[in-house]
Amino acid sequence: MNARVLYHLVRADFLERVRRYSFLVTLAFAVYLGYCAVTGKIVVRLDEYRGVFNSAWVGCAMTLVASLFLSLIGFYIVKGSIQRDQDTRVGRILATTPMTKSFYTVAKMISNFAVLASMVAVMGIAAIIMQFLKAEDPHVHLWPLLSPLFLFALPSVAFTGAVAILFESIPGLRGGIGNVIYFFVWTALLAVPISSVDAGGTLKHVNYFSDFNGIVSIMGQMQQDLRAVAPDYTHGSSLTIGDTKTTKKFLWNGLRPTPALYLSRLTTLLAAVIIALIAALFFHRFDPAQEWRLTKSRTAPSPANAAKAVANGFANAPAPAATLASAANLTPLGKSKSTALVLPRTVAAELKLMLKGHRWWWYAVAAGLFIASAASPLEASRGGVAVVALLWPVLVWSQMGTREARFNTASLIFSSERSLVRQLPAVWIAGVIVAAATNGGLALRLLIAHDREGLLAWLACTLFIPSLALALGIWSGTSKVFEAVYTVWWYIGPAHHLPGLDFLGSSPESAEPIRYLIMAAILIAAAYAGRRSKLAYA
Amino acid sequence: MKLSIQHVSKQYRGNVWALRDFTLDLRPGVLGLLGPNGAGKTTLMSILSTITRATQGRVLWNDIDLAHNPDAIRSVLGYLPQDFGVYPNLNAVEFLEYLAAVKGLDAATSSRRIDELLNLVNLNDVRKRPLGGYSGGMKQRIGIAQALLNDPQLLIVDEPTAGLDPEERVRFRNLLSELSGERVVILSTHIVSDVEATATDIALISGGTLVAHAAPEQLLQQVEGKVWEGIVPSNELQSIKRQYLISGTARRGDGVHVRMLAPSAPSGAQPLSPTLEDAYLFCLNTHRAGAAA
Repeated sequence: MNARVLYHLVRADFLERVRRYSFLVTLAFAVYLGYCAVTGKIVVRLDEYRGVFNSAWVGCAMTLVASLFLSLIGFYIVKGSIQRDQDTRVGRILATTPMTKSFYTVAKMISNFAVLASMVAVMGIAAIIMQFLKAEDPHVHLWPLLSPLFLFALPSVAFTGAVAILFESIPGLRGGIGNVIYFFVWTALLAVPISSVDAGGTLKHVNYFSDFNGIVSIMGQMQQDLRAVAPDYTHGSSLTIGDTKTTKKFLWNGLRPTPALYLSRLTTLLAAVIIALIAALFFHRFDPAQEWRLTKSRTAPSPANAAKAVANGFANAPAPAATLASAANLTPLGKSKSTALVLPRTVAAELKLMLKGHRWWWYAVAAGLFIASAASPLEASRGGVAVVALLWPVLVWSQMGTREARFNTASLIFSSERSLVRQLPAVWIAGVIVAAATNGGLALRLLIAHDREGLLAWLACTLFIPSLALALGIWSGTSKVFEAVYTVWWYIGPAHHLPGLDFLGSSPESAEPIRYLIMAAILIAAAYAGRRSKLAYA
Repeated sequence: MKLSIQHVSKQYRGNVWALRDFTLDLRPGVLGLLGPNGAGKTTLMSILSTITRATQGRVLWNDIDLAHNPDAIRSVLGYLPQDFGVYPNLNAVEFLEYLAAVKGLDAATSSRRIDELLNLVNLNDVRKRPLGGYSGGMKQRIGIAQALLNDPQLLIVDEPTAGLDPEERVRFRNLLSELSGERVVILSTHIVSDVEATATDIALISGGTLVAHAAPEQLLQQVEGKVWEGIVPSNELQSIKRQYLISGTARRGDGVHVRMLAPSAPSGAQPLSPTLEDAYLFCLNTHRAGAAA
């Protein structure tokens, strides 16, 4: 194995990705992030202050936006490269070559990095445009403008790309559970360097080496420099979305990179490589037996039964031709089709499909959450247990609208009669039933308390979540989008009772049922339109 | 019962025409749709099964235009795609129950039908085993079962014997023959022996156009007196290949036995009875020569 082989592995994977339409969406997202930074929808602020839009400030502001968002969203964008090799069967060809597992995972990490680096490059261009548009300092200095992106954003996305490979390699984290867990891992990683902030929000000591995306390192220097020129500034720095109320400006001359800072960024890059190497320990090298053992053990026959099956010859060998049934034995159906119970039957079938495959403990936890939310005091149920209950079925909902593409059953289902008006509503209703059942404890509690407004909020939530899942699933074609969007939304909204984003109405103050009923209706329409656009004939 | 394909064309992005002005009328029986890889067979199957829309032309089922009423065809359609998936956590019964519900079958009918079909495709013993553990051939048999769920009047099967072992392949051919009485069956394949065993009609397709549509006997008549066998030394084989259209070779102790198509007997060659494979190669070669000219 040599550099040429590594280059071709990375190149082929990168080209395969960038030639997909989804890559355009990815770049569009990078452009949007850049646009938000340029137009002030995302602002770096130090209490009431912000920097004059010179090259140093603009470069660092764009770096903060890139590091923060790409380290989260980037994970969901690049995760799936090993799965793609498995789906396309290219993996099995690669597995027969002398390529080592560590070589493969490192190549995948570099490919992930290349995809995310292209997004960073787009944001670098946005930074140049931003400085021209803001026109507070006409002198564009490329080094202070772009070097923070190199120094901070690139190692950050390399680290993210490596973590994505690690998650893909570990059986338990490969699927939707990993997508949900990553959000909490990301939150925890952000919190590590922030532990060196005092109670007032002042950065006492920045540990560069624990700051994988560099946010605290950059903001620490900004705070330090502002404090030197503005005695009225005490503490506080943030990356604020949609809030531009900064009244004071100060001239910031940029980062003062120290050897420790450079070393910490190199350490982040090194950590990315080490994580990719660790991923190789778990990587299955496309061994179908190992794949089956790791992911399908709950459905695989026991060794004893398998041996018995082989002995009986049912595993592969067909029965003797003489004993086989004939098509003449088939009972003609005639006009036996009934339209009366078609929708309920389809809903039942979709519900069964949705819930099939979960192990007993999944149901046990769901039942426990139901009982706990019904038995807890209303406030604790609404603001605590019910919030947790809403996260539990996230992987059930995330299948909605994506299953046909994921399992390649679209041609079987979409060639069926009235699939748009029969199967699509059935999927949605099944999702609503799951939402109502898993969060039904809260509904009982609200009923007992005669809390009509609370019940309305519960109803809105119950209709909204499956609508969101179905719309995102159909339009994105992947469960990752819902898993990421919903987890972040759940964390910011219901878990923190944030008005505007609290779709559960986890407190009476943050409940907005009408808004979420309207959104549910819009999302249902979007799901319908999306599915319709994918069918040759509606 | 009539399926009418009228001047159907399909254009993909990049000005690629998969089908051009394809016209065919079908009555009950088995139509073997034969053609080389990339001929447009799967595109035609996708259009007939309402998965994709024709760029030009129309398809009529009992004089009802598919574009105006796709459910007229979907309600009587059984479709086995070339490439399809299954839900790995479901067993055979659950998967077929699911598709029966989507196809609008009532519970009692679907239950009886599923039992019969699993017996028919020889999967009764593994009916409770998750589909994720099925072999490729077993999955293919599940595909065959689902295509027959609604007792279809129009059965479209695209490369149905791919992945089946020889015994299952023979069984499936027999099954198709049995099913053909009161329904239109379209069997798309590039395996001539599958068509030879089952088809009442054959359509040859190449480059997206219909090359020939005839009964097997008519196709065979075209090559009557044009098939020969000669014995040549190994070192002359390449030279023979350049001179004649070769439909088969076999190495024997006395040299290479070459089956070739030619209007008159090559030197030392003996006449042979033509097979459908000879006819297929002859028609395709004639079509290509005409297109090149």
